[in-house]
Amino acid sequence: MVANIKDKAVIVGVGNTEFSKNSGVSELSLAVQAIKTALDDAGLTPADVDGMATFTMDTSDEIEVARALGVGNMSFYGRAHYGGGAATSTLHQATMAVATGMAETVVCYRALNGRSGHRFSGGVSGDITTADAIHWGWYMPYGLLTPASWVGMFTQRWMHNTGIGKDALYEVAKSARDYGANNPAAFFHGQTFDRAEYDAQRMISTPLQLFDCCQESDGGSAVIVTTPERARDLKQPGVAIRGVAQCAAKDQEQMTSFYRDEFAAIPEMEIAASDAYAQSGLTAADIDAAVIYDAFSPIVLWQLEAWGFCGAGESGDFVKDGALRRDGRLPTNTHGGQLSEAYIHGVNGIVEATRLVRGTSVNQPDKTVNHALVTSGVGIPTGGAVLGKLDL
Amino acid sequence: MSEYNTRNYDEVSVGDKLEPLNIDITTGLIVSTALATRDYEPVHHDKGVAQSTGLPDVFMNILTSQSFMTRFATDWSGPEAVVKSLDIRLGAPNVPGMVMTVTGEITAKDDASGIVDVAIVGENNIWGMHMQGTVQLALPQGA
Amino acid sequence: MNEEQQQAFEDLIYSYVGKVVCQRMPAKDAVNEPMIRHWAEAIGDNNPAYSDPQWAADSQRGKMIAPPAMMYSWGQEGFPVVAQGRTPDAQSELVERFNENGFFGTLGTNVKQEYFKEVGIGDTVYMEMVVDNISEQKATGRGIGYFFETLATFSDQHGDPIGTQRFRVLKFIPPAEQAAASSSDNDEALEVPTRIASPRGHDNKWWWDACDEGKVLIQRCKNCQTLRHPPRPMCGECQSMEWDSIESTLAGEVLSFTELHHPKIPGYQYPLVCAVIKLAEGTNLVANVVGCEPEAVHIGMQLQGKVEQIDAKTMLPQFYPA
Repeated sequence: MVANIKDKAVIVGVGNTEFSKNSGVSELSLAVQAIKTALDDAGLTPADVDGMATFTMDTSDEIEVARALGVGNMSFYGRAHYGGGAATSTLHQATMAVATGMAETVVCYRALNGRSGHRFSGGVSGDITTADAIHWGWYMPYGLLTPASWVGMFTQRWMHNTGIGKDALYEVAKSARDYGANNPAAFFHGQTFDRAEYDAQRMISTPLQLFDCCQESDGGSAVIVTTPERARDLKQPGVAIRGVAQCAAKDQEQMTSFYRDEFAAIPEMEIAASDAYAQSGLTAADIDAAVIYDAFSPIVLWQLEAWGFCGAGESGDFVKDGALRRDGRLPTNTHGGQLSEAYIHGVNGIVEATRLVRGTSVNQPDKTVNHALVTSGVGIPTGGAVLGKLDL
Repeated sequence: MSEYNTRNYDEVSVGDKLEPLNIDITTGLIVSTALATRDYEPVHHDKGVAQSTGLPDVFMNILTSQSFMTRFATDWSGPEAVVKSLDIRLGAPNVPGMVMTVTGEITAKDDASGIVDVAIVGENNIWGMHMQGTVQLALPQGA
Repeated sequence: MNEEQQQAFEDLIYSYVGKVVCQRMPAKDAVNEPMIRHWAEAIGDNNPAYSDPQWAADSQRGKMIAPPAMMYSWGQEGFPVVAQGRTPDAQSELVERFNENGFFGTLGTNVKQEYFKEVGIGDTVYMEMVVDNISEQKATGRGIGYFFETLATFSDQHGDPIGTQRFRVLKFIPPAEQAAASSSDNDEALEVPTRIASPRGHDNKWWWDACDEGKVLIQRCKNCQTLRHPPRPMCGECQSMEWDSIESTLAGEVLSFTELHHPKIPGYQYPLVCAVIKLAEGTNLVANVVGCEPEAVHIGMQLQGKVEQIDAKTMLPQFYPA
């Protein structure tokens, strides 16, 4: 059964805070700043908000956000789990709430002091008291306890299986950096690198070197979702959610699905892709630009394959000729991605995908962008959304 | 003389690794090396003063870390090598009870000058990286 | 500090750039064998160029030299630092300016020495030093602060250059918890860190307990005999909650691997390689590959594991090339 959600929820406002390595303010402060910016962008006020969606990882409680912002009564508040896998799942939550009438205007937000506060690169530790401590216990004693090490393990096997080498990882990192260098909001604004510099960076966990890894950032991002009827009365051209899907596939673990028959694969994203395409009635051929979750360079390649932009094992050839560039087949991560703009757990990616459809990206491609893809983190339960102009 | 061989520039390759060296960090070592390098700062011999800076005990002075870097390089190269430079980034302190393991690798060669870059890392077993950097050595060239 | 105060503070500290810390001054002692020997004994440096006059006379140099790393030592004040404290100079004044404004933390971060000429017995080392540069305000891992750098220039009694030294220091505002820690007496012996252990709960304690006894077990469904790892309370194939286990032979093959370079975690020895290993019994296990260079690990490599004591608290399966 295909979910009947096409064009029933619309993005009408987006906002980011400043991105930095040391915000000097609380995560709650970042959250409300991002949301206020997104509301201003939409021409809405906090009083218009009646729903919220964020990450289970987010430390800013909905009711704290509501009180700080001056939001009134809320009829919906839902959270999505699994770190960056929740990026587009916030849209998934908002879409379900708006499409069913559970709420009219839902804010999706994520704010973190990812550099000055808790840093993901430090890895998991024996101190965690959550229910998944037992899960990490199968890896921590061996030293396999950072995101880069988990992704390194998948990447090594994937490169072995496909014969794809570091040229492809470089092109993902380099194209993101070139976009970021041109984006004044990006941390790496004005700073690019060449192949020799890329190769000279320190090894993090084989085969991943420093520039294959995203930054750690302080910042917040927010997206406002409402009904198409309401959207048509607002400031910005509406960006409709044509399809949005999430998936936790069989034998999934959190970053460590090492027990499948072939674990150098992301079946959960293939399923989410096929669901989102089915909802929207679109195919890869209809997608004009993309924001593909890039905590690490190789995961962009896997997702290009999962979303059908190229065949399995062909992503190296696909990116080689500049497909991700501004004049390429699929301009991708035009804000600089999390590799070069900021790591806001993929929600800054939803902001950028919305801008691509509006035509307002700082690196807007010359061609018309009718549809843009935005995805969540992989290696975990994941998903993605197909966005398009509300009135084509 | 035969007991002190010096490596020839031509027999050294980038990627060559140095035999690791373990150094037991004791109070005696920290105090003796501090005084031998003429560093009488109390944090290197007075535990109470060291603790007032937030550390558990006296800690190794920087001149000693530098000295271990050059010693490690010339132990490998032999005595005719000339030390040209030392570039060191400092990390966690060395305090008594730790063991510092020093490792090294040849990372560059310059044929014109006969200078090799020895990248060296000293890590202690408790807090990790203590010192990291490069010693440049001019090695004898030709026969 | 508000913006205005910070501006005033920065104007003050930047006024130290270029100030002379010490004029060109000879060391108290000329380069001499006893001081070199004290250094060589303490550092454990047996280089005959510093200690063996016979060898040195026959060497390319034709004479004994001082260890280059002693270049800065010759000009040090020595015991008066303990007795009377350091003589005030531009550097100590600058440090005081930082301290007055809350930048109490001090951390030497980098030293760079270049050596132009080796010095021999009887030479005198002269040193002069200036405050060379001060960075803009930086957010560092230690806290907010500034880096300042001194430049020392060394020459001999003839005025010939011997070398230079750049010394970089971070002055920072220590985080509150660090300040609190520094005031408490900490006289306990350092505890050597161990690997991070798995928490043990209902579903996994039996596995880790067996590991402590030297065995790697694989959970097996009593109903349909399907093996599963990591352990779970129910069989995903037949939904039976009855299970027992078999002991693995620990013969296996590398399905994938990664060598962990950064960050290095206290309690772990590097180089460190983790692999997903297909055990002969059919289930996969993540563990370390040891007993070979990390570069030798490859997909398809055959392994044989055994459970070993890794540190005071940790027993783990470790896999060697078969």
